Amino acid sequence: MSDNTNPVIRVQGVSRWFGSVVAVSDVTFDVMPGITGLLGPNGAGKTTLLRMMTGLADASTGTVTMFGQPVRDNPSLYHRIGVMSEHETVYGFMQGREFVRMMGTLRGVKDIEAATDRAIALVDLADAQHRSMDTYSRGMRQRMRLAATLVHDPEILILDEPLNGADPRQRVHFKRLLQTLAEQGRTIVLSSHILEEVEQLADTVLLIVNGKLAASGGFRAIRAALNQRPYHVRVICDAPRKLAAAVVELASVDAVHVDPDGAVVVLSRNVLDLQVELPRLAQAASISLRRVEPLDDSLESVFGYLVEA
Amino acid sequence: MGSVYRLTLRQLSGKWRLIIMTVLACMPVIIATLMLRSSHAPTVREFETAILSAMLSGSIAPLVVLAIAAAAFGNEVDDRTLANLTLSPMPRWHIALPKLLATITIAGPFIAASALLTAHVAFLGDARATIAVTVSALVGVAMYASVFVWLGLVSTQAIGLGLLYIVLWEGFFSGFVSGVRLLSIRHYAIALMHALDDRRFASGDHLSALASIAVAVVVTGGFLMLANRRLRRMDVP
Repeated sequence: MSDNTNPVIRVQGVSRWFGSVVAVSDVTFDVMPGITGLLGPNGAGKTTLLRMMTGLADASTGTVTMFGQPVRDNPSLYHRIGVMSEHETVYGFMQGREFVRMMGTLRGVKDIEAATDRAIALVDLADAQHRSMDTYSRGMRQRMRLAATLVHDPEILILDEPLNGADPRQRVHFKRLLQTLAEQGRTIVLSSHILEEVEQLADTVLLIVNGKLAASGGFRAIRAALNQRPYHVRVICDAPRKLAAAVVELASVDAVHVDPDGAVVVLSRNVLDLQVELPRLAQAASISLRRVEPLDDSLESVFGYLVEA
Repeated sequence: MGSVYRLTLRQLSGKWRLIIMTVLACMPVIIATLMLRSSHAPTVREFETAILSAMLSGSIAPLVVLAIAAAAFGNEVDDRTLANLTLSPMPRWHIALPKLLATITIAGPFIAASALLTAHVAFLGDARATIAVTVSALVGVAMYASVFVWLGLVSTQAIGLGLLYIVLWEGFFSGFVSGVRLLSIRHYAIALMHALDDRRFASGDHLSALASIAVAVVVTGGFLMLANRRLRRMDVP
């Protein structure tokens, strides 16, 4: 495996545009051994970036190197790289084992039967390996695709939304497997638009928003920034003006207003305190709360906040 | 290369595709039989122009090859499985060449059988004429396959563009504009047929068998190189 001093993957000033649309804009980062999560909302440019990192797409400007070598038009590197794209299409006419064996053969694996056995065992699909892939569930297809990605024992794994379609049990198995592979010294880059997924897996996070690298580093630092962001919370109750007057006194509340529909909209930087204080305050004032909902809890708004910050 | 070749054979051997190719391949044989049984049997020159050149080399062979070749890469581009091959540590010609060979392997026997039976029926079992027609048809298959495999890689509209090429270029312009014939696959396939049996077919194109084969190699190899170049430079979906 790789030594721990030089970056295994180096992305330098990479941009990609399609006509007038900028998909990725001047992104620079290094990836070291371990698990790196590429996090961002749908359409942020994660897949385009991963495609450039794997050499499937050309960068409009900038360079991507792995082990110090350019990735684009350098097929010999694929001995050391395993890539699982987000597209779930498989050769439906093939059995799962046939698919993994073929991918191993294409990647120049010597003892192909043993490597196929090992890869299929890793994803726990030995029982279904002789079934046609047409009959697989979405999760099974993903796992067999992962086996095909691992069959040549690559040093670098690039996985685009790998947990799509996996059920909770498969997710647990998959996470354990990735952690084991990382502990063996491999470099793993995985993309996701689900914060918690990356939190549980990645040592380092690269946050991509609108094609730009919005933040990078340890997950805790990014999570801390997220917890400090202001939230809008919409409260529907039977006495909105009375509740607004009471809520504005709370230390955790920055601003309050009553919207034209009669709902109370609260701006808070400490939403955890608000969760505790609001019901207590309503009970004390004999106000009946009908509904409490966050207005900007979507991932896009979280990412938006981080970019502005 | 063997894995890509076997994979492509399986991908291209769909039932409906084979049925359509069988129907197309039978047409020259049926029409030749009907023509020869009619009261006004054609001369060799008329038969060559109508059946061997316009129909077999100019229509049936390119249509059958187009149905196979456009899908050799086209289907993998559409369903995004091409990355399985391009993410492998092998030179790009190890992908392009087996794709071309698999196309020829599937389309070749249909066209060869069609040409062989048509010539056998028309020339009453004359071995030399039958071999000339069959070999020229197979050489035509190789050239068409190379062009259409490349087309399937550069355009998602390969079938439409291929049909336009067959109808307008091979079918219309090359029949009327003499300069266009120099860039027509049908022309070189027929020139080879003339050269292989100059006793039966009166040649008007002054091309030797060697020159015709050299052109076929250049066309087939040239488009194979273009496909290889495209594979290296394209964004693989």
